Amino acid sequence: MQLLIHVENLVKRYSRRTILGSREVVSALNDVSFSVAPGRTLALVGESGSGKSTLAQCLAGLERPTSGRIWFEGRDIVALGENQLRAVRPQTQLVFQDPASSLSPRFTALQILMEPLTVQARVGRREARERALTMMERVGLSRDLADRRTAEFSGGQRQRLAIARALSLAPKLLIVDEALSALDCSVQAQIANLLQELQSSFALTSVFITHDMAMAAHLGDEIAVMDRGRIVEQGSPEEVLRSPEHEAARRLVAATLGSSVTPRAL
Amino acid sequence: MTKRRELAKWLVVLVALHCVIACAGFFAPYDPVTQDREHPYAPPSRLHFLDTQGRVHLRPFFYPLRIREGSFDQYQEDTAQPIPVKFFVDGARYKLLGWIPCHLHLFGVDDARVYLLGSDGYGRDQLARILYGGQVSLLAGWLGAGITLSLGLGVGAVAGYYGGWRDEILMRLAELFLALPWLYLLFGLRAFLPLSVSPLEAFLLIVVVSGTLGWARPARLVRGVVLSAKQRDFVRAARGFGASDSYLFRRHILPETSSLLLTQATILVPQFVLAEMTLSFLGLGVPEPVASWGNLLANLQQYSVLMSYWWMYLPALAMVPFFLTYLGLASALQEWSDFSKIGASREQG
Amino acid sequence: MRFVSRRLIHAVLLIFGVSILTFLFTSLAPGDYFAEMRLNPQIAPETVIALRAQYQLNRPLPVRYARWVESALHGDLGFSFSYNSPVGPLLWVRARNTLLLTVTATLLAWGLALPLGVWSAERQGGLPDTLISWTMAVLLVVPDLVLALGLLLFAVRSGWFPTGGLAAVGFESLSPLDKLRDLALHMILPVVVLVLTALPVMVGHVRAAMAGVLDAPFLRAARGHGIPRRRLLYRYALPAAANPLISLFGFSIGALLSSSLLIEVIMSWPGLGPLLVEAILARDLYVVIGGVLLSTLFLVAGNFVADILLFWADPRIRTEAEATR
Repeated sequence: MQLLIHVENLVKRYSRRTILGSREVVSALNDVSFSVAPGRTLALVGESGSGKSTLAQCLAGLERPTSGRIWFEGRDIVALGENQLRAVRPQTQLVFQDPASSLSPRFTALQILMEPLTVQARVGRREARERALTMMERVGLSRDLADRRTAEFSGGQRQRLAIARALSLAPKLLIVDEALSALDCSVQAQIANLLQELQSSFALTSVFITHDMAMAAHLGDEIAVMDRGRIVEQGSPEEVLRSPEHEAARRLVAATLGSSVTPRAL
Repeated sequence: MTKRRELAKWLVVLVALHCVIACAGFFAPYDPVTQDREHPYAPPSRLHFLDTQGRVHLRPFFYPLRIREGSFDQYQEDTAQPIPVKFFVDGARYKLLGWIPCHLHLFGVDDARVYLLGSDGYGRDQLARILYGGQVSLLAGWLGAGITLSLGLGVGAVAGYYGGWRDEILMRLAELFLALPWLYLLFGLRAFLPLSVSPLEAFLLIVVVSGTLGWARPARLVRGVVLSAKQRDFVRAARGFGASDSYLFRRHILPETSSLLLTQATILVPQFVLAEMTLSFLGLGVPEPVASWGNLLANLQQYSVLMSYWWMYLPALAMVPFFLTYLGLASALQEWSDFSKIGASREQG
Repeated sequence: MRFVSRRLIHAVLLIFGVSILTFLFTSLAPGDYFAEMRLNPQIAPETVIALRAQYQLNRPLPVRYARWVESALHGDLGFSFSYNSPVGPLLWVRARNTLLLTVTATLLAWGLALPLGVWSAERQGGLPDTLISWTMAVLLVVPDLVLALGLLLFAVRSGWFPTGGLAAVGFESLSPLDKLRDLALHMILPVVVLVLTALPVMVGHVRAAMAGVLDAPFLRAARGHGIPRRRLLYRYALPAAANPLISLFGFSIGALLSSSLLIEVIMSWPGLGPLLVEAILARDLYVVIGGVLLSTLFLVAGNFVADILLFWADPRIRTEAEATR
């Protein structure tokens, strides 16, 4: 079975300028390797600063890694030029953590959903509008909200919209970057269920990024723990939850005791 | 919402002031170039409602000014011939906005020339010269600001969006331009261009030159906005579904710069008006006989004018309401954009 | 020390860059000192060509620049056609007068801005604050051109102040005290204009900086300890608010220099301003370049001093410098 995504020795370094003008190098990703089979969900767990978001950006083709390879459907997207990469990007969609900033405050919900289709210019306006409205209902938003600006939406509604937008181009890979963290607990559960349901009906491959180990165990087929730019532990949810080996993994598991979501595994 | 109302108030005042200047031909009784050798340096005529016999007239009137016997610049009123003011009169022809031929004036008098704000050494009406001069100075301000903002937007956008070596070079260049004492260089540049050019050429020259010198500060500010907009998630998301750079720029990033550009415009226009005034004052700007607020003030460099003809200072005061309004607008804009940013982040919080 | 040397190199490079830019700009423009001469039918064209050759105006740009740099290092800064002497000494005499004016104005302006800003920050929203804000707004709106001319008009008509120049006739014969008084009298108007034009921005910044600091917990704690008000404001609050003010200080020097150009011309103060305008009208190339460069030098020096002050005053920057060493 061909792997959908295979990451090899990914490194991402940033250089920062201090006030005095000297340069400081920050390593966001330090030799990360993993793979995901089609239709499976990988849950990437880590504390803030562990490099999760940087990894998400690299997978979506929005950042170029300093070195390493990312094989997507057999092609190394790191090696691609900007124009080719632009053609690949629609297939790897990202749902961001903060829906307030990932949805433009100037556009209405309908405009936001239509934008991917308009940009790709695959279909006419009327068709795009229909598809957008259908997608809205699919994620549980009523059609009446179409002409409202996102400032009037609740957090849960915004995330639904963000997910709808991500799916509008029928991507092969869905990366969900801490999309539930900004939501209330009850809403989290709803969106999590929505994601699961969409995953199975669209046959998506997903990478689910979170700092919540319980959520990771609930949604993921496999868990990878990140700490300071590296993957320090990998395994099935049962393995990682029952017997976490690395210190970072242990911390994360300990933090979930008291979480309201019952891990699927236990 | 009071912020918006305050903004609207300032805007209305600004538009009204500019309308007065734009319709200079209507508000001024005479044109700015006709000379009157019989009334050099005439003081402003006084408006009367009470005549010498103590009667009140509903329609205000002037007394014509005649030069006193034996002096050459002392005037006295000839109380024998009151000249009533007429409103909405037919007068000298002019072109409204430089284009529509008209001959209606707000007010005027028959049989004599009356100088509401005095006259200059050639007997030209100062009121007319101030109004028409305002057209020149304000236009210079707007064009200069327009050029600077366009340049600044272009440079700032490229530097902010592409980053890398483009950013480095452009920002170093900006630093260089910011270190220059702007006014000095403006003078220097202007002087080395031919001194005796037609008024139109001189005007365009100072506008273009001053416009191209001032790009550095707006460029830096635009760069900041573009940089932070580029990092916004919704821009990343748009890149994520394959949007090209020009699309991203057009649809997402450029709108973010609009409030900055507006605020900068209200700050820059007065600065450029002042630059034109300074240049013209020193004889390096718009030359005679075309009036501009700057060269109207150039008369004051003569000691005799300072000593005896105080009304020649009035053009200096003409620009004060404009600058005041621009300042008011600038701070109202600033408050409004801060306010809307706070509001937006509160909703997202 | 590394910080200082780095900023110094930066400043020197900046000056070089500006000199190249100025040279480029003024030399690219058509026309030069002898252009008017060429129009004069009484002067043979060969003479004009010979003169240009004598002053090396016909050489290519890089060569002229190189020779100019050489002359600059000797302190000459090129040659003035109008005055028939090297530019350096010419500038220096005038620069001293300009500095006299600008330094006095800077000190006076800050001397006023600090108490005014502190005072209005303390009584935010109160009558003094509102009064000061309004006055500053008016001053901000009125351009220096208008203000200078207005004061000049006042001086002429009231006769209280001399209307120009540095010294009265018969200056030499005055006693030292009278000389000082005479100088002060001549300085009053230009300094007043400079201070009034600079004041609004300064007061605004001081007020804003102080208002930000006055709410801080450490200040409330100090007040709780019973520290008297004035000490509190000036020894505790002001240093904490100093950062943006120090940068503003560096910037204010440059701004005052630019304003002084126009005001010196209007008030006939024999500084760099009138010299520059005269040179511009006469197209005395090297005087113009020298003048522009000198004022840039002051501007850059002002910023450099501000950087050093900031480094010295703010312990955070110092520790970061230590850390990166």
